[in-house]
Amino acid sequence: MAAPAGQRPGWSRKAQYSLFFGLVAAIGGLVVGLIMLVLSLVAPSAYASVRGAALDVTAPVSGALAEVVTTARGVIGGAGDYWNAAEQNEGLKHERVAMRRQIIRAKAVLQENAQLKAALGLREKTDQAVAVGRIVGSSFESTRRFGILSVGRGDGVLPGMPVRTADGLVGRVIEAGSSASRVLLVSDRSNIVPARILRGGIPVISTGRGDGTIDVRPLEVGRNPFKRGDIIVTSGTGGIYPPLVPIARIIRLDDDGALAVPLADPSRASFAIVERVFEPAALAAAAAPAPGDR
Amino acid sequence: MVRAGLSNKQGAFKGGSVSGVSYIPAATVIAASALGTLPIVSVTGWWPNAGFLMLIAWRLLRTDPWPAWWAAPMGFANDLLTGAPIGLSVTMWSAAMLALEVVDSRTQWRDYWVEWAVATVLITADRWSDWQIAGLMGAPVPFLHIVPAIVISVLAFPLAAMIVARLDRWRFGR
Repeated sequence: MAAPAGQRPGWSRKAQYSLFFGLVAAIGGLVVGLIMLVLSLVAPSAYASVRGAALDVTAPVSGALAEVVTTARGVIGGAGDYWNAAEQNEGLKHERVAMRRQIIRAKAVLQENAQLKAALGLREKTDQAVAVGRIVGSSFESTRRFGILSVGRGDGVLPGMPVRTADGLVGRVIEAGSSASRVLLVSDRSNIVPARILRGGIPVISTGRGDGTIDVRPLEVGRNPFKRGDIIVTSGTGGIYPPLVPIARIIRLDDDGALAVPLADPSRASFAIVERVFEPAALAAAAAPAPGDR
Repeated sequence: MVRAGLSNKQGAFKGGSVSGVSYIPAATVIAASALGTLPIVSVTGWWPNAGFLMLIAWRLLRTDPWPAWWAAPMGFANDLLTGAPIGLSVTMWSAAMLALEVVDSRTQWRDYWVEWAVATVLITADRWSDWQIAGLMGAPVPFLHIVPAIVISVLAFPLAAMIVARLDRWRFGR
């Protein structure tokens, strides 16, 4: 086949000029694009309002469709559960007995903890939820991992606030429109969370890998402290994330760290809770984001 | 002529193009970008950039789906709809238009394979720049992580090309 049939303008001067102008304008568009791109690299907050407005416009669409998807997924999952109901029932009964024992032990520890804290006169942080929303979408066309949350500034959500589900940490808010916000998920490469291993409390650093998993490394060089199945929790260092929120479970060890999967799966969690910044002083740091925070 | 009229029940008698014919290509590109608002919560980010696929599919099919500079505003819409860094698609889409202009003037003949190869180069460039910018923004991932995304996008291109060819026939009432 020949090259696409010549919408070449032929002998018409007018048409030739308009084509030429179009190309010059395209080069202009390229230059403008580059300037905008540089601006979003060096001064990400310059676009906060326009990006927030775009979020507000698109999130309701995602939200409405999300209901449909959730329902469909629920029906399919529900049907699957009937498949081996007897076996599941057996397993669940065992689990329940084990759980009950653990709960009793945990309650005792909680009580003891409260007494000790009272004795020490420690001020208890109130971890009130700012807002509760749904995760209605995510970036699925790039290596960055963002989620879209159905609550925004109108509900009191501000950039920098941590987001979690009942299962664990989801990430933190990086852009807030008036009715929707964008969340930097813990699996994003630029989301670095100070953490520790629940067993033993060894401090570690959790970094996303951009593909849904998390890379954890110990702060101190030496023996690899991880074991398969270890739970990683936030340490509260840095002041954004509250301490003791579960982040991930170790699935594989490598030479000086380990690979983990987030405990809060944003595609399954129906509700996400936005909490206050743990240490308000950290908001000052969040208000002037590093280049990595976009 | 007679045969064409007999074989085509609607088009030939309705005759001519649907209304707003010159805006349909751009509108479909924006619509494809708007797929980014679908409630897909993905952990990998390997989905193709539908807006970009439609853009290059239209431009490979015709030289004049829109004036070349429309790529910049369409890219801006794509940035807002998909949450990409503002300016990334503006730059890449304008660059793709110019690159295809050069390809048009240099190629003597074309078939599906050549178009697919050109699309592969453009898709790779687009993903590569996305990866570079992500790295500059503090999220450097190994290049291997985006290879599946490139493969998926390249494999999705014929689908976009097919949709575009059908839309093009429809908009001219053929």
